[in-house]
Formats: sequence, C-alpha cells, structure tokens
Amino acid sequence: MTSIAAEHHEVHAAHEGPPRPPHGWRRLVWPGFLRAAWMTPLFFGIGCAIVVSTRWWGGWHPIWKGEIIVLVGALTAAPIGFLAGIGAFDYWVRYAIGAPTIPEDHSGHGAYSWKDYFRVNTDHKVIGIQYLTTTIFFFLAGGLLALLVRAELAKPGMQFFDNQTYNGLFSVHASLMIFLFVIPAFAGLANFVVPLMLGAPDMAFPRLNALSYWLLPIAGIMMLSSFLAPGGAFAAGWTGYATLSVHQPMGTIFFNMGVQWAGASSIMTALNFLVTIITMRAPGMTFWRMPLLVWANFTTSLLVVIATPFIAGSQFMVLFDKVMHTGFFEPNLGGYTLGYQHIFWFYSHPAVYIMMLPGFGIASEVISVFARKPIFGYRLMALSLMAILVLGFSVWAHHMFVSGMAPWLRVPMMITTLLIAVPTGIKVFSWLATIWEGKISFATPMLWAVGFVSMFVIGGLSGIYLGAVPIDIHVSDTYFVVAHIHYVLFGGSLFTIFAGIYYWFPKMTGRMYDERLGKLHFWLTFIGFNATFFPMHLIGVQGMPRRVSDYDPMFAGWNMFISIASFFLGASVIVFLYNMVVSMRRGPIAEANPWRALTIEWQVSSPPPIFNFDEVPQVVGNPYEYGVPGARHAVLNGDREAVPEKVPVS
Amino acid sequence: MRRGSIVQLILFAIIASAAGLTLALVPGWLPEPASKEAGRIDFVFWFVTAICIFIFAIVAAVLAYSVLRFRRKPDDDTDGPPIHGHTGLEILWTAIPTILVTAIGIVSAVVLAKDDDVGKDPLRVNVIAQQFVWTFSYPQFGNKKSAVLRLPNHRSVLLTMTSKDVIHSFWVPEFRQKQDLVPGIHPTLHITPTRIGSYPVICTELCGLGHALMRSRSIVMTPSAFRRWASQKGPGGA
Repeated sequence: MTSIAAEHHEVHAAHEGPPRPPHGWRRLVWPGFLRAAWMTPLFFGIGCAIVVSTRWWGGWHPIWKGEIIVLVGALTAAPIGFLAGIGAFDYWVRYAIGAPTIPEDHSGHGAYSWKDYFRVNTDHKVIGIQYLTTTIFFFLAGGLLALLVRAELAKPGMQFFDNQTYNGLFSVHASLMIFLFVIPAFAGLANFVVPLMLGAPDMAFPRLNALSYWLLPIAGIMMLSSFLAPGGAFAAGWTGYATLSVHQPMGTIFFNMGVQWAGASSIMTALNFLVTIITMRAPGMTFWRMPLLVWANFTTSLLVVIATPFIAGSQFMVLFDKVMHTGFFEPNLGGYTLGYQHIFWFYSHPAVYIMMLPGFGIASEVISVFARKPIFGYRLMALSLMAILVLGFSVWAHHMFVSGMAPWLRVPMMITTLLIAVPTGIKVFSWLATIWEGKISFATPMLWAVGFVSMFVIGGLSGIYLGAVPIDIHVSDTYFVVAHIHYVLFGGSLFTIFAGIYYWFPKMTGRMYDERLGKLHFWLTFIGFNATFFPMHLIGVQGMPRRVSDYDPMFAGWNMFISIASFFLGASVIVFLYNMVVSMRRGPIAEANPWRALTIEWQVSSPPPIFNFDEVPQVVGNPYEYGVPGARHAVLNGDREAVPEKVPVS
Repeated sequence: MRRGSIVQLILFAIIASAAGLTLALVPGWLPEPASKEAGRIDFVFWFVTAICIFIFAIVAAVLAYSVLRFRRKPDDDTDGPPIHGHTGLEILWTAIPTILVTAIGIVSAVVLAKDDDVGKDPLRVNVIAQQFVWTFSYPQFGNKKSAVLRLPNHRSVLLTMTSKDVIHSFWVPEFRQKQDLVPGIHPTLHITPTRIGSYPVICTELCGLGHALMRSRSIVMTPSAFRRWASQKGPGGA
C-alpha cells in the first residue's frame, strides 16, 4: 500500500502546493493574516462609524454608546473583516463582482508545511486537523476554567473569586466545552474521515467547509474575551435564561454573538455533510453499506440543520431584549419569560444528541474492528440513530418540569423521554453483543470505546431518574444534574472523541502514538473522572444545588474530595498532550492499515494522498464483515486485493 | 454456552448487584422526608433504583465476562465468528426496556397526580422571591408576612409563586418539592408537612450575584402553635 502512496506523491509532485505569497507591499493584499491584520480594524471602524453616524443622525444620546459599539463593531463587523482578510470570501467576491475567478487548480489542497494550517485551505483533511487542534485548545481553556471552579468549591465560603467572576467561570466553561469543543471536535473528526469512508475526493463544498472552520476561532475568542468586558464574563450559565441574562452586564452579548458564529459554523458543516453523504458516495455505497460513523454524522447533521436555528433565534431575542428593549421575555413589556426556555431547549435538547450520536458512530467503528466481529444488528443500529433523531425533538420540556410551564405537558414529555432509553439501550446491548465471543485486543482506542460504553450506561441510568417527573422535581438544578451531564458528555462524548483521535491518529499523521502512554492516559482519566463526578450524584440528592459559589458546610468533605480528584483528572490531560505532540513528530511510521479494518479510509496510505483516491473505489459489500472469508467492503485501484494484510495489533 | 460460563456470568451479575445495592443503601442518599409528597417521591426513587441495579448488573456482568474471556491471544490473527445479529435477542432487548420504562412512566404519573392533589381547603401561602430574599405571606391570615415559611403539621398547603425580578426556584430538600418562580406567571406547589422541625429553603435557579446565599428556613409547627403564631398581629420574624 505504501507503494501506491509513493506513486501518488510522484503524480502530484508537479505542483509544489499553494502559490507562495509575493514580496513587498503586495503581500499586504495577499489573503492571509497580514491582510486580516488591517482589514479587521478597518471593518471594526466601519461598524463604529455606522453606529455613531446613525445615532447622531437620529439624535439619540449618548452618540457614543459602548455596548452598541462593541456589538456592531467588535462582535459583528470585525469578524467579517477578519474572514475577508484571511481570504475566506475571495472566490465568492470575485465571482460576485464579475472579476475573473482564480481557476480552481486545487492549490488550496493539502498541507505542505505547518504554515498551511494557518491559511484558508479547502482540503477536508487539512480542515479536519485544523478543527481538532483548535477544539483541543478550547478544551484546555475550558478545562482550566473548570479547575478554577473546583478550586473555589474546595472549601465552603469564598476563597478566590467574587460571585460574578465565579458565575462567569462556570458559564464560560460550559459554553466552550459545548460549542467550541464537543460539537466541533466531532465535526473535525468527521471532516477528516467521512469523505474517505465514502470514497469521495473531498466534501461537497470545500470552500464552505473552510469558511465553517474559520468561524470557530472567532466564536471561541469571543467567549473567552468576555472576561475582559466591563462587568466581567457572561454569568447567566450556558443556558442564559431570560430574564437574568437580559439584565446582565455587557459580557452577555459576547455569549449571544459567540453562539451565532459557532452556530453558523455548525449549520454550514452539517449542510456540507448532508450533501456529501447523499451525493458523493462511491459507486456501490448504498445507504445500507455505509459505516455507522457515516450514519451517525448523517443523523447528527439533520439534527443540527433543524435545531440550531432555534438557539440562534433565542440568543438574538435575548440580545434584542437587551439592546433594543424588544421585550420578548419581559413580562412588564408584554413578553413571556418561559418562552425563552421552550425555544432554547428545542435546540439544546437535540444538541445533547448532536454531542452524542457521532460518538456512537466512533464507538461502533472501534468496537467492531478491535473485537474482530461484524457490528451486531447493523440495521437496527442505524435505525435506532434515526429513532433518537425523531424522538429527540419531542422531549425538550423535560428540562422544564419545575419551570412552571403548562402542567399537562409534563407526563407526555416524560413518556417520550423515557422511551429514548429504548433505542439507546438497543445500541448498548448491540455493542455488548458485538464484543461477545470476539477476539478483543485492548489497544488504546478500544479502551476508550469500552470505557465509553460502561460510563454511558451510568449516565443513561441517571437519566432515567431525571426523566421520571417526581424524582426530577427533587433533583433538578442540583449536583445530581451536574453528575449526569458529565457522565453523558465526558464519559460519553469526550471518551469517544479520545477513542476517535487515537484510532485515526495513524491515518491523520502517518505515525503511531505511544501505546503505553495512551493506556496510561485512559486509566488516569477513567479513575479521575469517576472520582470527580460520581460523588456529585450523592451530594445532589442530599441537597446541594448547582451553580453556587458557597454551600452548606455539611458538603465540605465531599467537595474537597471532588476538587482533589478534579486536579488529578486535569493532570491526566498532560499525558495525552505529550503523547500527541511527541508521536506526531517522532512516532514510528504508521502502516496504511494498522488496525486491519475494512472501511475505505484504511485502504489508502497514511496519511492519505492529497486527493484521497487515484481512482474512484468500488464498494462491493458491507463495512464490518470481519470473520467472513474473502469478504470485502470496497475494491480500490482496479482489482487490487482489498482484504487487509495480517498485521499484528498493538 | 457451557454451564461453567453461565455460572460465571451469574456470579458476575450477583457481584454487580451487590455493589449496586451497597452503593444505594450505605451512603444515605435522600434527606429524612418531612412531607407526604416526599414519601411518594422516595418510592419512585427506590423503584427506579431497583430497575437500574437490575440493568446495571446485566450490562456489568456481560461486559466483565467479555473483557476477561474474549481477549485475543497474542499470536492469533483470525477474526471472531461472523455473527450479524439475532432477531429474537433484538426483539427481547427492545421489548424489556420498553416495558420497564412504561412501568416507570405509569408509577411516576400516578405519584405526580397524587402529589398535585391539593384537596379541600388548603392553607394558602404566597411565596415572593426577589434578588436575593424570600418573603412568605398568608392571605387567609390578613396577608401576614414572614421571612421564614411557617407551616402547620399535617395540613395540605398550596404555595403560589411570585417573582419580582428574575427566575428563582423554591426548594426544600426534606419536602422533595421544587417549583420555579417566574416573573409574569404564578405557578403553584403543593406540600403536606408530616414532621415537626426546621428545614432549609434553597434557591436552586441561578438568579445572579447572591444566588448561593438566597436561603431561608421552613419551620413545621404543631397546628395549635401555628394558629397562635398566625393570629398574632404584625409581621412574624424568624
């Protein structure tokens, strides 16, 4: 297989990557950070000018109003200037004004040096890695904020922060983890893998793909920089309930706008996945032959496209209530406060599945490969994803059992909520049946995947407590909820993200990670995670509310324990980072298919050739036919033998 | 399957159930109940816990058994048996969870209906929240105001919620009952105290700077002591 790769590189050695920027002053108008460095302030200035001139013309005082300047200038115009500066719009602008477009010579494809990762690049593999490194950065930032929260909570009473700062810390922690880590990290993994799995040369809309990536750092920096806003970071929780969020200091609008940029990114990527999956499958790749990761991203993308506009709307309404006094949620202006929660959760409950279904996909890939068995009940696995998709839209009000909404809504929403346990249970039992009688090798990805199944079962069971209305009345807004969401989003999403990163690390970098460090990372995280989050169930049921900077001294012992465990958990990330950085540069060269997997991404070299395939693969069978003599998923490059070589695992 | 395997599996399930039971019974999860509603909610809690331990035991046993028994030998490069599914099993693990969650749903709905049944002539209390204080007033006693929630034992109480600014939430862990106070609407909450004592009133919805400190107390008194207190003129302090 390596010979194919070498051959391929020769074919494309003719062009030496993207054209290099010119020298002298022309460099200032060349797309890149230099141009962004002057276009961002320029657009900021234009935004300010629009605000000031409009206010002056309308005779509104004060003409110079900080909040509006920040909103229009810094949070809206400046990001557009930045995107224009780095060149995200170049092609479309040329096209729109009738100028000759730069012919698509695929020069935006591939990364030839580390600098290419800091450019607008249209290669899905480059974008996937851009996504992953960016999201890991925000994962570290969000994690550090969590450790600050735990430092404050180690003892009752106030230690390090005032209340507003504390509320800002957990609000930004949650927002970064949700909008800048879990959702886009899955999008990043899928960006790299899905076109390869489909046998496609790239995503359907490569330029849109690049734009979706570049919206992300904007959203993340916006949320982080809210700490610099007068009055501190947004402090109404990531849920940002009206009317509290409307009456918060300026930091709130950083959240309102940050969600818009991250949401736009999410929607564009989802559209891209949908079109790619529907139209760019290789010949023979029917829907029932797609790997479950592709199925998972298909359903996730449907969720994103349908649901995300609702959170965008809810944040715009809060923003308008705040700066324009529209009164959507203000009862004294005729608004309806609970309306916010209905709109917000109509996105944010499906968002839970947006953050979990891709993880289900990763778990299915990893478990099947490392158990050397076909995935058990493939069709039911795919159908249960669709069932979760449909049911997921009918359960949002289970976040509102104590909110004061129409009481009759509680029982129907409880029934639909509990019913979601059925398709989720099908998935868990099918994974168990897949490893049953398998030939399991516990390489690092498999450890994370099996760890995920066991932790997700606990998260799912605690979800049944929360779904049953009478219990939810007692435990809602307590640490029980904090424990539950971390079992689902940390034990669920994060474990599968790690499984995915380790699993595709050889494919992405062409090198192997260090197996011993990977296992160490898993065990440290597994122990630290359970020590941190399991006791939260207990103190929640016993009566500790969430989102408090101070608490009853009866919970002091457990909180000290949890804080110590959380620092242990935080330290485990260092092992991961060290392993990634060192292995990327010095790890042993990876083979094309180190895991002996059947899916198409493993049938090309590691890392894959710039255009993925020399000729379009022909899909001839199901993706998980382990143990079936002579079975193939796809035939590449004519009649090349697609049955994987016998290479020892781990 | 061989008989030895079945014995091993059952052994793992017993160990897992024992671990689950220990975890459920030893730490003292629920605060001592102090209302009729708390008793019913606790029943749902333990009902769900029993089902969860059952599911957990099955999953843990199968997982532990597989992890220990089905490991690849170092020099074995062959694949496992190509089992693609089993319709009977798949129907089974669709049907059993459906039955279990339906049972939980029915029990919950019945408990909810009972807990919300206020009965005739309840004691009415208006709960007023604003950043970051609680006020309680008694419309049947000349709108007598109090900073702590005093309630007579064994009397059905209907709390009507009012918020003056942002969303708050009223919670007394010992009563197990919770209700948000939302500006513009007036939801209600039903409590029937059953134990004399003093319990914390906690705000559980993030309401701003002083959220963590927005607390009061609920004092359950004998009916006669409550009547004496309620008929005194003037606001009742602590």
